[in-house]
Amino acid sequence: MSDKLLYSGVWVALLLILLFSMGGGVWGAESTLGHWTGDMFRNLCHQDPNRSFFVNNLQMAVNSRCFGVFAGLLFGWTLIPLFLKGKFKKNPFLWLLLLALIIQIIDYMGNHYGMWINTNESRLILGCFLGFTASLSVYDLFKS
Amino acid sequence: MNVEKESEFEKLTFKDYLPSSTIVGVIFGLVTSVVGLFFMYQQINSEPSTSMTGMFMGSISMLAVCLIAACAGLVAVWHFTKEVTSTLKLGQGAVIGFLTGAVIAIVSVLLSEAWATFIDPEMMRNYADSMIANFEAMDMPQSTLDDIAESFDEGDSMFRQLFINIPLYGVLNLITALIGVKIFADKPEETF
Repeated sequence: MSDKLLYSGVWVALLLILLFSMGGGVWGAESTLGHWTGDMFRNLCHQDPNRSFFVNNLQMAVNSRCFGVFAGLLFGWTLIPLFLKGKFKKNPFLWLLLLALIIQIIDYMGNHYGMWINTNESRLILGCFLGFTASLSVYDLFKS
Repeated sequence: MNVEKESEFEKLTFKDYLPSSTIVGVIFGLVTSVVGLFFMYQQINSEPSTSMTGMFMGSISMLAVCLIAACAGLVAVWHFTKEVTSTLKLGQGAVIGFLTGAVIAIVSVLLSEAWATFIDPEMMRNYADSMIANFEAMDMPQSTLDDIAESFDEGDSMFRQLFINIPLYGVLNLITALIGVKIFADKPEETF
């Protein structure tokens, strides 16, 4: 594996982002929205309590979809060394990333036009798929 | 030809990365700020609603801002491969992505500060009132409403915003920049 320092640094950064995105409930705060974790993601996520999971009775600092993306990014990034050991001829994850993006748009529009109602769980899974494919789309660049 | 390419590749310094990161970062910072302001004023001027429409507009705003901001790393790498060299190492792509994210954070924080200071000092107050009115219409618990009001009342210093936004935007753009390296860059040839 090449660029081990870069790989490790990004892994730590993604772990921290995931921990921070869980909001004030993880850090013993009384609320998330007035807490530094809430401030951190305020410009990136709408932080709608109806669309967020709760930790220790406090909403997370990001909504379920964003949390899924961050979780997927970390999960995918963690699996990069395993995929490097595999014998894949081509990296399929760039195409899967495109598919994940299209699915996000379809899910978003379907919910908007009342064709279905997405839930925190469905948004989490789709977000996770997007993050997972985004991380693994670059795994072959770490081949030494 | 390969020797020329290799020497050009090895001469790259920090200054070579800055133009692409700065140009793309400033453009994306401006775009995210304008889109964010547009939706913020749309939210301020909307009636409180229980139908989630107001929140939906907010969601679109954040989705747009989030997607635009995160794609900048990829575009910066594309720009770099067009303007400087098409041969790019993974680490160099990461630097371009992180710098681009940092520029976006700086531009958007500076613009929002300038807007709130010189153009519309009441904007954040009006936005907070509008958001709280929406949450009230949705029968949110009073404690949640108090938290939201408190977070808007406390405000945020510019340096604190930069301190928390630069690493976040930096890492997100770093990852999209790596995707950019995958799509647009030629890998340097190994020399033994």
